Amino acid sequence: MDIATFQAYGYFFFTAFLVVVLYSYVYHLYSAQKKGTRDYEKYGNIALHDEITDQPIEEISKNDEIKK
Amino acid sequence: MFHWLEKRPFFFAVAVFVVIAFAGLIEILPNFAQASQPVVGTKPYSTLELAGRHVYIKNSCNACHSQLIRPFKSETDRYGHYSLSGEYAYDRPFLWGSKRTGPDLMRVGNYRTTDWHENHMKDPAAVVPGSIMPAYGWMFKNTADIDTAYAEQLTVQKVFAVPYNKEIPLADGSKATVALADSLEGAHASALEEAKVIAADMKDQDVKDAVAAGTIPEIVALIAYLNSLK
Amino acid sequence: MENRPLEYDYTVAKMFMLTTVLLGIVGMLVGVILAWELAFPAVNTIAGQGVAEYTNFSRLRPLHTDAVIFGFTVSGVFATWYYVGQRVLKVSMAESKFLMALGKLHFALYLLVVVAVVGSLLLGITTSKEYAEFEWPIDIAIVVVWVIWGLQIFGLIGIRREKSLYISVWYYIATFLGIAMLYLFNNMEIPTYFASGGIGAWYHSVSMYSGTNDALVQWWYGHNAVAFGFTVPIVAMIYYFLPKESGQAVYSYKLSLLAFWGLMFVYLWAGGHHLLFSTVPDWMQTMGSVFSVVLILPSWGSAINMLLTMKGEWQQVAASPLIKFMILASTFYMFSTLEGPIQAIKSVNALAHFTDWIVGHVHDGVLGWVAFMIMASLFHMAPRVFKREIYSKSLMNTQFWIQTLGVVLYFTSMWIAGITQGMMWRAHDEFGNLAYSFIDTVTVLHPYYTIRAVGGTLYLVGMFLFAYNMYKTMTSGRRVEESELQNASPMGA
Repeated sequence: MDIATFQAYGYFFFTAFLVVVLYSYVYHLYSAQKKGTRDYEKYGNIALHDEITDQPIEEISKNDEIKK
Repeated sequence: MFHWLEKRPFFFAVAVFVVIAFAGLIEILPNFAQASQPVVGTKPYSTLELAGRHVYIKNSCNACHSQLIRPFKSETDRYGHYSLSGEYAYDRPFLWGSKRTGPDLMRVGNYRTTDWHENHMKDPAAVVPGSIMPAYGWMFKNTADIDTAYAEQLTVQKVFAVPYNKEIPLADGSKATVALADSLEGAHASALEEAKVIAADMKDQDVKDAVAAGTIPEIVALIAYLNSLK
Repeated sequence: MENRPLEYDYTVAKMFMLTTVLLGIVGMLVGVILAWELAFPAVNTIAGQGVAEYTNFSRLRPLHTDAVIFGFTVSGVFATWYYVGQRVLKVSMAESKFLMALGKLHFALYLLVVVAVVGSLLLGITTSKEYAEFEWPIDIAIVVVWVIWGLQIFGLIGIRREKSLYISVWYYIATFLGIAMLYLFNNMEIPTYFASGGIGAWYHSVSMYSGTNDALVQWWYGHNAVAFGFTVPIVAMIYYFLPKESGQAVYSYKLSLLAFWGLMFVYLWAGGHHLLFSTVPDWMQTMGSVFSVVLILPSWGSAINMLLTMKGEWQQVAASPLIKFMILASTFYMFSTLEGPIQAIKSVNALAHFTDWIVGHVHDGVLGWVAFMIMASLFHMAPRVFKREIYSKSLMNTQFWIQTLGVVLYFTSMWIAGITQGMMWRAHDEFGNLAYSFIDTVTVLHPYYTIRAVGGTLYLVGMFLFAYNMYKTMTSGRRVEESELQNASPMGA
């Protein structure tokens, strides 16, 4: 298989893969919002309530997930 | 899975990088070996020509002049045969330019002479009435940097195997050799030989005197470069 | 520390605000000189024959582009990062001595690079690759400055209180990564002094790539430096400053996330459109065209999101010059992201490439979108950073209209100039010969070059008003209380 063919396959499959990922992301965003598992819109408030004395929208210590 | 990513700055950064690097990998890398093959008749630059190319770059001539003839009738009528990839094999950096405030210079050596360039660089509007190109008087006084040009020749010969001192096939079947001196003194001597041929066609007495005394003004190197563009 | 409440620390933000204003004026002043030189070539020697070498169009041109890109814009990006970063992560730089010291080092090195760049470009020390003209010693310094910025971003993220990263932070991260990758690969070069054993100028280098390859890498860089320098970080700014100033949360946060990934995915493919009809492979040129057109979608996703954020709040646009700046910026963003793809269509490109239409496109993007958004950001930051009211609202309004007029004059004249020249280059007479010699296509542009120079001069006047307004805000604006800084910025008459 010469380099051009390889290039074409690589291009095609990775693009297809990314398109699938992007669409499943759309699906994830809107279904999570609908089912109420996650409210994405509340993150918009991070910009509005940004004084250092404001309560964070999602506190980092509340959850046990480490930030890494 | 998506939410997991949004909370992890490190993996998020990795994901962004993969997505943006992908296009570059596919687009650029595989084409490399093929595009750098010279076409028959393309020669590397001589010391003086390369010094002239440095003058061209130093004064950003490429800000206003392209060196890329596109395959349209109007362009081939005006500038000559359209550009081929291999013709640029020894151009580091490429000088295609992105704006044609002035005409293309890819094959200017085919239709302009030393004499024309001398007059034009001194006073463009006197040669081409209406020209908005500024005069480049200082090129007649500044000395060309032969040392750096020679250093670059040595570098490309060593690192990229540019064929100096080797026979290069020409379009008509004959062979030509571009010599590279084996010492800095030798490089100066051969550049001066070339410069004398050009200065003989020039009128500026200061330039003639300088070349006779063994120094090469920038304008001589630049004209050597422009004449080599064919 | 115990007896004082914790506050955000804007020391480094202030430093970069200063360079944003100064280098903005320098870059645009040089641009205006260049514009007059094209209209009236005598301007080339206006300072006398002795220094003609340094006032000449070709020597100044890289200084103009680099001062605006790496001086004005990048300073603006750093200034806003040192402001927005702390706020949306809810952590103060005062909490980390390390980040604070690093921030000051960042600024000091940045200044050093600016001086080196200005000096070397004036002397004609350049690699000639557009927006990457710097020789290897400066390249190394730039990489260091960039790495320090990366440490800042990830350092601040490491000690944050807000768990989720706001969309602006996403864009700043992408800016950092994108530019790092592009810059490194495009500037691969070999110093000839060392390779040849100590001959010639020590700073000179030769590109690792030759000819067509060099062009490919350069325009992959050139186009995407625009993407990651002029689009991505500016979108980061508007996603923070417009909601904050108007008091309206982003219309759809989900759409902003989608537009982000869409932009990341598509933008890098579009670079090929700079090389249409050149000697790069055909499929890549076509790829460049197609993706350039697809690029409209994520770009417009962000822009429409911004306009919808103002839904039901349009009285604010009339009332606040600051919001006017931002709304006009996002409108120009939509406009130039539509214009770009049109120019990338092969048949249009055949006409437009190498002409002034491209110059016009760059400038409606940079003057209308980038510069307006950066100035709006600085206007919003000033009262919070200096704890003073913006000195004059009427001056802001005046600046807005003068600069808007300047941009309109600029891009309309360049459109006409570009299309006129493109048509004349290709015109043939009845016998099939070229209808015009090259010089005919130059002299015909004189009126448009003059109009462009006037437009540019107006914009520069606006820049001076901006600088004056900022200076007065800093020194003599009315002092304000924390409570006045919630949303709309306080402005004096």
